[in-house]
Amino acid sequence: MSSSAPRPVLASLAVAAATCLLSACGGGGTAPAAGAAAAGKPVYGGTLTYLEHQAPTCLYLPAAGFYPNGGVLNQLTDKLTWQNPETLKIEPWIATSWEVNKDATQYTFHLRDGVTFSDGTPLDADAVAANFDVYGKGDPKLKLPVAEFVNNYERSEVIDRNTVRFHFDKPSPGFLQGTSVIGAGLVSKKTISLPYEEQCQLKNVVGSGPFTVAKQVVDKEIDLVARKDYDWAPKSSEHQGRAYLDQIKIIVTPEDNVRVGALTSGQADYVRYVQAYDEQTVKDAGFTIYAEPTRGVNNGLYLRPANSILKDVKVRRALQKGTNAKEVVDTLFTPSYPVATSVLSHLAQGYVDLSKELAYDPEAAAKLLDEAGWVKGADGVREKDGAELRLGVFVSGPQPLSKQTLELVGQQWAKLGVKLEIRPADAGTQAVDIKNAEKTAIAHSMVGRADQDVIKSHFHTKNRDVILSNDAKLDRLLEEESALPDEAARNAKVAEIQRYVVDQAYAIPLFEEPQVYGVAPNVHGVAFEAVARPSFYSVWKS
Amino acid sequence: MSGSARYLLSRAGQAVLVLWAAFTAGYVLLQLLPGDAILIKFQNPELGLSPEQIAEIRSYYGTDGPGAYLHTLLGFLRGDFGYSIDTGTPVAERLAEGLPATAKLAGTAFALAVLIAVAVAFASCHTRLSRLRGALQAVPSLFVSVPAFWLGIVLIQVFSFRLRLVPVIGGSEVQQLLLPVLTLAVPISAPIAQILARSLDQVRAQPFVPVVAAKGASPGWILWRHVARNALPPTLTVAGLTFGELIAGSVVTETVFGRNGVGRLTEQAVNAQDTPVLLAVVVLAATVFVLVNLVVDLLYPVLDPRLRRAVA
Repeated sequence: MSSSAPRPVLASLAVAAATCLLSACGGGGTAPAAGAAAAGKPVYGGTLTYLEHQAPTCLYLPAAGFYPNGGVLNQLTDKLTWQNPETLKIEPWIATSWEVNKDATQYTFHLRDGVTFSDGTPLDADAVAANFDVYGKGDPKLKLPVAEFVNNYERSEVIDRNTVRFHFDKPSPGFLQGTSVIGAGLVSKKTISLPYEEQCQLKNVVGSGPFTVAKQVVDKEIDLVARKDYDWAPKSSEHQGRAYLDQIKIIVTPEDNVRVGALTSGQADYVRYVQAYDEQTVKDAGFTIYAEPTRGVNNGLYLRPANSILKDVKVRRALQKGTNAKEVVDTLFTPSYPVATSVLSHLAQGYVDLSKELAYDPEAAAKLLDEAGWVKGADGVREKDGAELRLGVFVSGPQPLSKQTLELVGQQWAKLGVKLEIRPADAGTQAVDIKNAEKTAIAHSMVGRADQDVIKSHFHTKNRDVILSNDAKLDRLLEEESALPDEAARNAKVAEIQRYVVDQAYAIPLFEEPQVYGVAPNVHGVAFEAVARPSFYSVWKS
Repeated sequence: MSGSARYLLSRAGQAVLVLWAAFTAGYVLLQLLPGDAILIKFQNPELGLSPEQIAEIRSYYGTDGPGAYLHTLLGFLRGDFGYSIDTGTPVAERLAEGLPATAKLAGTAFALAVLIAVAVAFASCHTRLSRLRGALQAVPSLFVSVPAFWLGIVLIQVFSFRLRLVPVIGGSEVQQLLLPVLTLAVPISAPIAQILARSLDQVRAQPFVPVVAAKGASPGWILWRHVARNALPPTLTVAGLTFGELIAGSVVTETVFGRNGVGRLTEQAVNAQDTPVLLAVVVLAATVFVLVNLVVDLLYPVLDPRLRRAVA
């Protein structure tokens, strides 16, 4: 979700054309055996071919949020706790039980006995403490940065072989959920003590998960094999013991239509990132689409108050009212992409419905711009003091159909007399200009995580700081949220923040971005963690 | 020193000059790009690094400073291309991994392109049906207008997904090579076919052809012994120049087919603005380009006795 790689949009368009042509003249190929619903009893063995859209980058665990990384690391590592994706409750995994003190400054975990990393070393209190010392504090000497899912970390304390306690200098209510996220995967003591560059490389990642790395061709293919002695799945998992599959071949296939074509023609079993316009093709061929929610901050446009035009809240409100999110979804996407009703997904914790506040109202938008002193010039673009109402935004590589989304919003804004300048996601220019509110007035982004802290990750000046905030009040609200030990109070604070962000028009939420997967009918036991990364542990093929 | 040795020496000198110019131009242009690989890599918001921390990492990599150009140049002379900033692996290692695959792809594609070009040119030259001739003469223009990525995707759709003849995921080495080779060969064959067909026509219009015919030579003998031989030098020049297109084409082809090679490496290095990798690729491409064209120049005298005397 974070590092960007431009997608060959041209190629996709050409293919769309070519595919139409072919399906018009072709006989439709062979119809795959639809309705293989009789799943029956799980079968051991077999190889799953999984096609990934982008090559994994750095595999340092806290950078696992990037989906290509997460898809690999989720199979290689276990976490202290397991977040049930249905209930979002935290359940035992490597930690069989835990205690949290009243103000959430002390967490004590009791670990499962007999868990080992794939190099044979024990996953004990020592190893867990070493992991979280790095995730919580970073290590400047090894160039390891702090992980965003740990707040207010002070130190660890190994009580005995299977008991570890973490101390925080301020309440850290998000920590329990933090131990369940993809980035909190536990690695061996040897791995965690390597410098950043080496932890980035897959061959150095040694976890305790159900699969291990058998072979890697950098940027092309990763082969995983099941660990025969794996016996520590989350307690609530129906499936225990080793994984059903023998092997997983993760193959990087950047071309959208090659992934989809390979799936429907039986060359692959499971693909990530099916474009909205391909969903129907996949379904028509008898395959299953999984549009998994990411439960975090919605895909949207984030307005930067430090920009000389957007510093006026009236202009920001005008843009918010002048954006028709429903039209974006109806035109470009499918029902897998629900229209946003707040800054957060409706499945996020602490969500509050703000659809009324976010209603499309172009007249009110025009009025606000008039009031703010922007008058239409000869070419239809509004002007004030000789300057045009012109705002820059970068196409966002990781967001689906970002360019088309921005173009459509640009058309909606053009009616208001606002010019949206859409720039291609050229890595170098973007890296320089993205932190410049004058050149990049707006950011197109989202972030997924199933915890209240996700909103802090997105907006706080010390985290992602998507809006390059200069609003001390917003920072204060976010800090209060991340330090409230009481769940209900925290949710109320998250609701307050959503209202504030929408009222200040820092955000124009568009839709709830899913991760869309296509899966062959003979693949069963498909499962995802709470933020839509696949887990292959219980997958089997018939 | 004999004349041909002096000729070789001067050509080698030119080649070194061209390579140095390519290195320097590449170096300067890459420095002028906005941002750098370290910024691109470490501004990942999940890592949450401040600009100061990124600057610290940059100094750790030692990519700044005025001595860097000389340092890099000397490194290249010793065969040390430095480290990829994106992956942290030595550039030489990454090139060594990618080169065999790309050489196989490009070499096979070039051979196929020559075959296609010769077939099209001779067929268009040979046929008496004016309509067929017109059609054949239009083939190069058609081929050159086909974008490689589009052709690759259409080939995959037809041969892999519809007809299911060749898998694109997995499959044997030959199967994996078939469609990419075809994709790369078609656009490359166009300029060669075009020039060969035109030279064949031009040579046939020359007065010596009727003379040879009057002496009793058969049409086949005339075409192969006289016309083709005289039509070859310009074709050879163009064939040497298409090498540049082979490089460009392999970037697209390897990306579409998900093959690991120098082309894909280039595409990824461009995205990550991985300067050491890009510089090595530029120099590598320039080296091969220079070598190919040197070979072409040395082949002229073999084909054309008149040039042999000029060289000597």
